[in-house]
Amino acid sequence: MERSFKKEVELLRLGANSTFHGEGILAVTKALLQSGVSYVGGYQGAPISHLMDVLADAQDILDDLGVHFEACANEAGAAALLGASINYPLRGAVTWKSVVGTNVASDALSNLSSAGVKGGALIIIGEDYGEGASIIQERSHAFAMKSQMWLLDPRPELTTIVNMVEQGFELSEASNTPVMLELRIRACHVWGQFQCQTNRAPEFSRKQVLETPEFDFERICMPPSTYAQEKHKIEVRLPAALEFIRHRELNEVFEGDCKDVGIVVQGGHYNAVARGLAQLGLADAFGQARLPIYVLNVTYPLVADEFTNFCRDKKAVLMVEEGQPDFIEQAANVFLRKADLECRVYGKDVLPMAGEYTAEVVQAGLAEFIAATRPEGIDTAAVAERHQALNAHKTRAGEILGQPVPVRPPGFCVGCPERPVFSAMKILEKETGPLHLSSDIGCHTFSTLPPFNMGNTVLGYGLGLAASGGVAPAFGKRVISAMGDGGFWHNGLTSGIANAVFNRDDSVLLIFQNGYTSATGAQFIPSTGRNARQEPSGMDIKSALKGVGVKWLRQVRTYDVAAMVRTLREAMTTNDPGLKVIVADGECMLALQRRKKPADGARLAAGQRLVRERFGIDDTVCTGDHSCVRFSGCPSLTIKPSSDPLRPDPVASIDNGCVGCGLCGEVAHAAILCPSFYRAEIVQNPNLWDQLLAALRGRLIGWLARPDGAAA
Amino acid sequence: MNGAMKGRAERPLSIQVAALGGEGGGVLADWLVTAAESLGFPVQRTAIPGVAQRTGATTYYIEIFPTTRSELAGREPILTLTPSPGGIDLMVASELMEAGRALQNGFISPDRTTLIASTHRVYSVSEKSALGDGRFEAESVLEAAQVLARQTILDNFAVLAQESGSIINAVLLGAIAGSGTLPIPRQTFEAAIEETGIAVAANLSGFAAGFEVAQAGTPEPRVAEPATTRPTTPRTTTPTVEKRFRQNYPTELHDLLGEAVGRLIDYQDVAYAARFLDRLDTLRAADQGEDRTLTRSTARHLAAWMAYEDIIRVADLKTRADRLRRVRHEVQARPGEPLRIVDYLKPGLEELCSLMPGAIARPLLAWAERSGKLEAFNIGLHIPTSSVSGFLLLRLLGGLRWWRPRSHRFRDEQRRIDDWLAAVVQAASLDTEFALQVAETARLRKGYGETYRRGRRNFDSIIETLVAPRLAAGDSSGAAIAVESAIAEALATG
Repeated sequence: MERSFKKEVELLRLGANSTFHGEGILAVTKALLQSGVSYVGGYQGAPISHLMDVLADAQDILDDLGVHFEACANEAGAAALLGASINYPLRGAVTWKSVVGTNVASDALSNLSSAGVKGGALIIIGEDYGEGASIIQERSHAFAMKSQMWLLDPRPELTTIVNMVEQGFELSEASNTPVMLELRIRACHVWGQFQCQTNRAPEFSRKQVLETPEFDFERICMPPSTYAQEKHKIEVRLPAALEFIRHRELNEVFEGDCKDVGIVVQGGHYNAVARGLAQLGLADAFGQARLPIYVLNVTYPLVADEFTNFCRDKKAVLMVEEGQPDFIEQAANVFLRKADLECRVYGKDVLPMAGEYTAEVVQAGLAEFIAATRPEGIDTAAVAERHQALNAHKTRAGEILGQPVPVRPPGFCVGCPERPVFSAMKILEKETGPLHLSSDIGCHTFSTLPPFNMGNTVLGYGLGLAASGGVAPAFGKRVISAMGDGGFWHNGLTSGIANAVFNRDDSVLLIFQNGYTSATGAQFIPSTGRNARQEPSGMDIKSALKGVGVKWLRQVRTYDVAAMVRTLREAMTTNDPGLKVIVADGECMLALQRRKKPADGARLAAGQRLVRERFGIDDTVCTGDHSCVRFSGCPSLTIKPSSDPLRPDPVASIDNGCVGCGLCGEVAHAAILCPSFYRAEIVQNPNLWDQLLAALRGRLIGWLARPDGAAA
Repeated sequence: MNGAMKGRAERPLSIQVAALGGEGGGVLADWLVTAAESLGFPVQRTAIPGVAQRTGATTYYIEIFPTTRSELAGREPILTLTPSPGGIDLMVASELMEAGRALQNGFISPDRTTLIASTHRVYSVSEKSALGDGRFEAESVLEAAQVLARQTILDNFAVLAQESGSIINAVLLGAIAGSGTLPIPRQTFEAAIEETGIAVAANLSGFAAGFEVAQAGTPEPRVAEPATTRPTTPRTTTPTVEKRFRQNYPTELHDLLGEAVGRLIDYQDVAYAARFLDRLDTLRAADQGEDRTLTRSTARHLAAWMAYEDIIRVADLKTRADRLRRVRHEVQARPGEPLRIVDYLKPGLEELCSLMPGAIARPLLAWAERSGKLEAFNIGLHIPTSSVSGFLLLRLLGGLRWWRPRSHRFRDEQRRIDDWLAAVVQAASLDTEFALQVAETARLRKGYGETYRRGRRNFDSIIETLVAPRLAAGDSSGAAIAVESAIAEALATG
């Protein structure tokens, strides 16, 4: 990690009777230590990266407690880590971004949940769903159902979340089943407080080692054990879990004075429901609502009798369940049918089947539910009126604005080393025509957005090359695949490169080597050169490539656009029939600037000479065609109003965010674009020679220059 | 509301902060949390930072319950994670279009919302990449803000931040404090800044600037676009030319014509400027419109086209006495800091041919175009214009103006200009609106290299397919709209 988490680490030290003030995902981290966890692992990704980041910086705390922490190669590796809890009473936790991480982990998860666990096994999943998500929109819920793992979905406030971590371990141990704790994006980032407990050292750990390995064939995922395991899940583990959930009252009922209708909600959406009711005049600010609410802090397994008890004597309930399919709503209908209850379940008929349940969406669903069911004692007209009033000005705003405001999706940072590669590809496409690009996951996926609009498919992390296997033979021209260094180590080396070499695929691969998993917060990877504990790794991508038999291998500095165009052209046209790999090398600019800025600041403060470089545009030369923007899209390459009354279109301009990466000049040359660009080198704290030279040049040039406004 | 709920009518104050990656929106949210917590208010914040550092829009959502924990005596208010339409007390936008987005989302309501927004623009990629002008009409955001917000504080907070040496988040915090929307006194906010311990002095100065703006009010907000550095070129004309356009054209065109004439004298010579007026005169009789829109538009395009960019012009512009001053300003070089400038030029066959006589240039260009070699011989030059030798090279090149009229490109452009102008004049006899659009086609002829060639192709194709047939048939019905949309399409796609 380039960013330091030292301040957050202090939160992990808090003892009993102190109050934790901080982010949700850090509260979970603290709760793990309070629960006596033996080992923690995971794979970074928004929104759970901080759990890993803070532990990576907390080595001394972990050492004190004897807790093992590991940044895993991928989510499958992280899930496999939980194997430690199968035979031994070790509590373990792993974390990743879901649903994608759960997808990758699912092989190990299936085996883990079939074998069952002795020590509590907790999987913290950051459900990357809705606004701000960067992945496909699916529910992790399905994994819990198919593997018979339990799924916690706590109310999104820290005390409940922390409590569910501890309860989750106990539930796992009581039912010999791994437990998933689901936190949505905003819950991971929610800033709140809870009362701490002292951290607990694990029973067994580095400091208190196990004596003898346990052999138990019943824990092995091989027939006939697997048959017995499946039965055990249903006959023993599930009933034990239901009993635990019921007995500990993990789900909650908040009573209301209105008796004929009620609301059932996933814990994570409780606050949105409470606020929606408050805005409609049906609750106060403290959650005291007119309608009773059944909160599912455990969304799998569902406790049938809790459900039927809540629905008894009600004519209707509203199921607030985000995402699809509507697993809980379907189950609720089965429960009610079997119990022969008349209560009607509203849900996906008044709420959308797909998409995030924001406060706005939930409020609209509540209003529609009230209108449809006309609960006793509630002024439905007043509710409808409030709902209408709250949303009226949205329409009005749309009318005045006239058109939707331009979107502002994320893109490559200022000076990003990956942008020039796509500039090069765009230049190459002028010769070759459009090329098929099999994209991957990483910052480089931003190539699919304007101004590049490049990349035809994205199939998963590290899978860019693998995803080209079927399509490449169907094209007359070679196809290009992309892969980040993160994806390379995650699985791309085997599923992509080794496979392509093995099958003698005629293909071109671009590996973006920026040194970190930059899109998730610049965590270290094997080719960073050192691990999270700053120990040297001695691993690099080129050696790995040679090791798996890649023969055609080039490394190009990404900012050298002309060289990149040449190398790409060569890869596209060479007679070499095998895999051609170009390592596009350039360190993540965010990481680089994080080091450079303080260092430069210190130099300047010490009065040392420092040359600051940045680019600029002569606005008298710029014709306002913006082709440079279309080849770059750098945030600091922007436009400004024209000062020329004869040419009113805005001219290109470079703002002070420019870090002088050089791409503008490279593109101006490589794409034969326009002569407006200049590079400025500003000598700060100049020495005597600098000053003399500048004075001399200034005088001579002043004498040579054509005065402004002079007639010819 | 039933009896049981009396006395519990309080609600949390909801604050949404919309910022762009790197503007410190997270720190602003932290300051708000610290200030509110120090007074004992329950407070919660969350965010969609996602991949925000990578330039996207980012939002922070904060709820403060304005009753202290001790007064609440153990009761916990329910605070939510997402903003909702009609439920925002304070909307803070660090850029104007983010305020527009908040309006669009229904987050600004007349009964409740104070809107604090910076009026400066950071353009989105879609706005920047159009070949023409793709900017959103931002005035509508100001209008909507004033209609829909309970209170607005709209000012160029980016400039205030720059002036006070802080970043925009501190200025916005000051404006929040100054707006009086939150039950948090000024000192508490300042204490929050001090507690962070980073760039405290600068942030406090930014805070004070924002506070003052909020207190003073912003009666007539305007969209603040990036500043331009206009060359301080005195307009040079000669009395004869000056007299000529002043006599023959209405007063409201004098500024523009002065600009055009000055440009062409600067570009070539007085005779060339006179040629411009000769050309414009051919339109004078045809433009009967009262406001002379056609003359104005044609004059503008004509002058810009006549001052087309060739290598002589570029070298000339880069060796002006005023240039160094503008560059210093642009790159924020401080007095006493030597500045080195390296210019990126890559002339090739086309640039060379544009200077040669037609007899050599024409066959060479035809061959290059046939064999796809137009860009095969370009030489990338890094010219150190701040050094004497580099400057001298460009100055000599820029001094070749005397040669220009003998060049192939010059003759070619003059011929095309005359054709185009004749089309405008002829169109004007049919329909002014059509003529305006024919004049407007000249807008496509801009840029360098491939961009210029594509623009020229688009121009030629519009003239050939949409303009010439109509002129030949003497029928302009629907022609203006057809040309207008063809231009718009060519400009949008680049």
